Amino acid sequence: MKAVSFTVPGICGQGLHFQINGFSLVYLCIAVLMWVVSGIFSLEYMAHYERRKRYYWFFWVTLAAIAGVFLSADFYTTFIFFEIMSFTSYVWVAFDEKKESLRAAETYLAVAVIGGMVMLMGLFLLQNLCGTLDFERLGEAAGEILKGGFAGTGRPIALGSPRVQLYVSAGMLLFGFGAKAGCFPLHIWLPKAHPVAPAPASALLSGILTKAGVFGIIVVSCVLLGADAGWGMLIASLGLVTMFLGALLALFSVNLKKTLACSSVSQIGFILTGIGMSCLLKAVGEDNGLAVRGTFLHMVNHSLFKLILFLCAAAVFMNLHQLDFNEVRGFGRKKPALLFCYLMGALGIGGVPLWSGYASKTLLHESIVEYAHAVEKLEAAGNLGPWAGDPAFWHRAEWVFLITGGMTVAYMAKVFVVLFVERHPSRQKEFDAMSAGYLRPLSSIALVAVSLIVPVLGLVPSAAMDRLASLAGPFFRWGGHMHPVAYFSLENLKGGAVSLTVGVFLYILVVRAWLMGKGDPRYLDRWPGWMDLENLIYRPLVRAFLAVSLLGCRAMDSLADALILAARKTTHSQVFLAGAMGGKRAAKKKGGSRGYRFARVLALALGRLRRSGSLVEESFSYGLMLFCIGLCLTLGYLLVAFFRG
Amino acid sequence: MSNVILAAPVLLPLVGGAGMLARQLGTDEKADSRRLAWFVEGLALANSLVIFWILYQKTGEGLVLFRLFGNLTVRFRLDRMGAVFAGLIALLWPLATLYALEYMKHEERKRTFFAYYTMTYGITAGIALSGNLVTMYLCYEMLTLVTFPLVLYPMTKEAKKASRRYLYYSIGGAAFAFISLVFVLSFSSTGNTDFIPGGILDLGKAGGKRDLLLLVYILGFFGFGVKAALFPLHRWLPRAAVAPTPVTALLHAVAVVKSGAFAILRLTYFSFGAAFLRGSWAQWAVMAAALFTIAFGSTMAVREVHWKRRLAYSTISNLSYILFGAAIMTPFGMAAALCHLVIHAFMKICAFFCAGAVMHQTGKTYIYELDGLGKEMPVTFGCLTVASLSLMGMPLFGGFISKWGLAHAAFSAMGADRGGLPGTGGWILCAGVAVVLYSALMTGIYMLTVLVRAYFPKTTQAQAPQAEGAVPGKSLDPNWMMLVPLILFALAILLLGICPMPLLRVLAGIGGEAG
Repeated sequence: MKAVSFTVPGICGQGLHFQINGFSLVYLCIAVLMWVVSGIFSLEYMAHYERRKRYYWFFWVTLAAIAGVFLSADFYTTFIFFEIMSFTSYVWVAFDEKKESLRAAETYLAVAVIGGMVMLMGLFLLQNLCGTLDFERLGEAAGEILKGGFAGTGRPIALGSPRVQLYVSAGMLLFGFGAKAGCFPLHIWLPKAHPVAPAPASALLSGILTKAGVFGIIVVSCVLLGADAGWGMLIASLGLVTMFLGALLALFSVNLKKTLACSSVSQIGFILTGIGMSCLLKAVGEDNGLAVRGTFLHMVNHSLFKLILFLCAAAVFMNLHQLDFNEVRGFGRKKPALLFCYLMGALGIGGVPLWSGYASKTLLHESIVEYAHAVEKLEAAGNLGPWAGDPAFWHRAEWVFLITGGMTVAYMAKVFVVLFVERHPSRQKEFDAMSAGYLRPLSSIALVAVSLIVPVLGLVPSAAMDRLASLAGPFFRWGGHMHPVAYFSLENLKGGAVSLTVGVFLYILVVRAWLMGKGDPRYLDRWPGWMDLENLIYRPLVRAFLAVSLLGCRAMDSLADALILAARKTTHSQVFLAGAMGGKRAAKKKGGSRGYRFARVLALALGRLRRSGSLVEESFSYGLMLFCIGLCLTLGYLLVAFFRG
Repeated sequence: MSNVILAAPVLLPLVGGAGMLARQLGTDEKADSRRLAWFVEGLALANSLVIFWILYQKTGEGLVLFRLFGNLTVRFRLDRMGAVFAGLIALLWPLATLYALEYMKHEERKRTFFAYYTMTYGITAGIALSGNLVTMYLCYEMLTLVTFPLVLYPMTKEAKKASRRYLYYSIGGAAFAFISLVFVLSFSSTGNTDFIPGGILDLGKAGGKRDLLLLVYILGFFGFGVKAALFPLHRWLPRAAVAPTPVTALLHAVAVVKSGAFAILRLTYFSFGAAFLRGSWAQWAVMAAALFTIAFGSTMAVREVHWKRRLAYSTISNLSYILFGAAIMTPFGMAAALCHLVIHAFMKICAFFCAGAVMHQTGKTYIYELDGLGKEMPVTFGCLTVASLSLMGMPLFGGFISKWGLAHAAFSAMGADRGGLPGTGGWILCAGVAVVLYSALMTGIYMLTVLVRAYFPKTTQAQAPQAEGAVPGKSLDPNWMMLVPLILFALAILLLGICPMPLLRVLAGIGGEAG
């Protein structure tokens, strides 16, 4: 598909620059689909809320902003729409104005604002360095710089050399976009913000707002730096850590929406790994088509899965106003539509063959395997780059990938059992009675319709998904030919089977055996409470920083005052001395006759009057005196200069 | 002869204000106060029209009002930089006066207040239109004197203290500025102190005394920097927040403090000359001072819980953005400084007027009292949202444009003559951008906490004490006289944020000429 671009000059200073290419077209369609479906769902979900108008207003503005992000053709435009999106979506998180929502919203806003500022700094640097922020021209400019090496003027590694600056600015952009994407260690807002936002909004937060961050990371990685091994290594490692930790958090969670939120973190990790692999593969001269397709398809898939799953959670929350596993158990029984939709989402995200998640995960897995082989070959030939990683590392990475896939299966199974298999100890009858009217027809039709996409895509991966992926190729700067992938070959099925097996074992050994109470089958929150990055590190850090800097600033605030006061005391002290002595004299006479006392009161009043009246006069005189000093100094200088010639 | 009109915007308010002071009070208080309102507003409007007329006519030569002695003349002349400042105050003043009339409606001693208020307009116009350093210096001193009664106006103990402090700092600072004035005069190549883009120093004469002149420049920078609230001479500004809100908004966020920044721009680019100062230790010294003030002001604002004082600290920080731009000493830096001078005027006056509207309607002055007010005063807080986001430098709002310009100027100055590699000064510039962003972050904290409180109260409606005079279902927004300026300022911020190109083009022209 040929890219179409257009500019709006002059707006916001530098003008806006948009481009419709395959990637932005697909994501625009997904955005519209998600907004329509969750909009339909919101009609029912928000029906009982008072501040609906506010919600809808920010709902639609965010759509416009996100469309702007995906359509942008330079970082300036991206940044503008990205910031609008951050602020409008803040209102979703703070929507119900409860204490925990406000706290989560505070975290969200802080992460968004800090991320935005760091990103802006990166953009300043980048523009200064490359002279442009246009995606088309950035790649070339950066390529020139990357060729240059680290040398500055005469030094082997100069801190200010263009290449270092380029890495610094790319790192800053990664910080900003990564914060929105939910990349470790900036994922802290996701598990807090998703559970408190209205569920249709959580679907969008997790399904597509995180993708706006991923969009930026793709541009930085594939367009700006392209074939940089060090960068690819960084992104891939971050991706691996993020996917594993996210899945771990999800496995431990006992809250429906929190599980889904942590799962989002984990899936973003998969996507980041894919981006990293595409950089690394390009760096060793291999075709990175597998990684590119895997990354893009997993993005698309994850958007769909999270839409479906969060809307399922919305259906639960709408009826029960509970999200805790122990409270919502058995709600899904005798509700076939809900069961179907949930299964589509869960089987998809779990990477079960015949569902679309399997295809994208297979591609990502294959790209790791391919890179591991490439590295082995390079090592044998003896020219392994410093940032390529050794084969052992990549074999371990492959295992992390597979195990994380297994954990995905395990936590989705956990939710499945909670909702559809177990029974609520006391309210099961009530739950079963809700089966008739738990969803309005319109909402359930929308939900089922979206759910159908997942198996349709998954059943014909070569016909549907490969074609979709080829649309996005140019955006990832992938020029190779699309080789058909035998998705259902034995080799590929093996990877899926390993994950599924690991998942089943994890479910039995960890979830059933350890995360549930013995005898009394309740779900226990075994995640140690102190292990919370936000409360453990970030908040104390911010608080300490503020405290220290405030202390310093307060001390300095009165610096000039103190100087002036000291000067004033020395020059004008007689006023105060007289006043003080007068006061003492008056005090000595205390207890005298009535006349005396009257005189004292009068004298004091008079003194007060005189003092306040003299304030103005005194100020003038003092100011004038300072002025005179200045004048005298100048005159003196002039005289000296004059006599010296 | 047509140049005589250049003196009109200066003299008209001065005469009008003096007239107000001299006139005897009538017997009918109500009619009297109505007449006063018409007179004050009419005078402000008329004066603005005169200024716009002058801008439209582009009066070239200038006007020598009178000669002090020798080459020292009081001379008014309009150049493009002066035009920007004059146009800015001419836009703001009538609107701010409208607001002030409503705000001060029930106060005593209105006549005195408005007399000095009007006179300030003339003096500020004088600073904008002054054609040489001597004239500007005189206006600068007079500005102190006419605004002093405005700070003193509430006549409380606090106000007296604040006004005294204001005098100490201002007159003391002027003394330093005076030193630089004398030096500029004695080293001038033209024999007078006229403002000429690129500076008037006789480089042959100055060559041997370069360090001395740089020292004098620093003195002048700090001297005029008093009005621009440069650390450590900033202390008067937060205290002066005791004055009535129109004063804090118009004078302590725009007219007075911007006069300080404007004077520094004049001193830097039109007297000493950017070429003389660029790359010298004096440049890094003043830049470091400005950067420190940026960080300091915004950090202090976070701590402050009194709303107007918080805004005053924010002003301190934002004024130093302008000074930072001035200290970059390149055409871009000059343009960025002027850009922030204009845009900050709109956003800060808007923010102050919102604070004033809340004070006027509910009497609340502390931030922790604002819980849930966002829903009761929708228009006011809508405007505050615009101003806050703009102050933070969010895209679509004016603040983003000026911040981008500043960073662009800083970075382009960094690698200008070293093939992209930063030198010693380059690191200060780089740190400068970081400081600007740090300050934006702090701005985020101190402005957004207000908004979050107002829109998403921690206490629920039922628990929150009802504001005085609140009628359920009826908004607490003030009447049109206060709302119209607010809305116009908010719209101006949006307009400047979305289509800034006309302004930027003008400023780039000025920068190119002066740098």
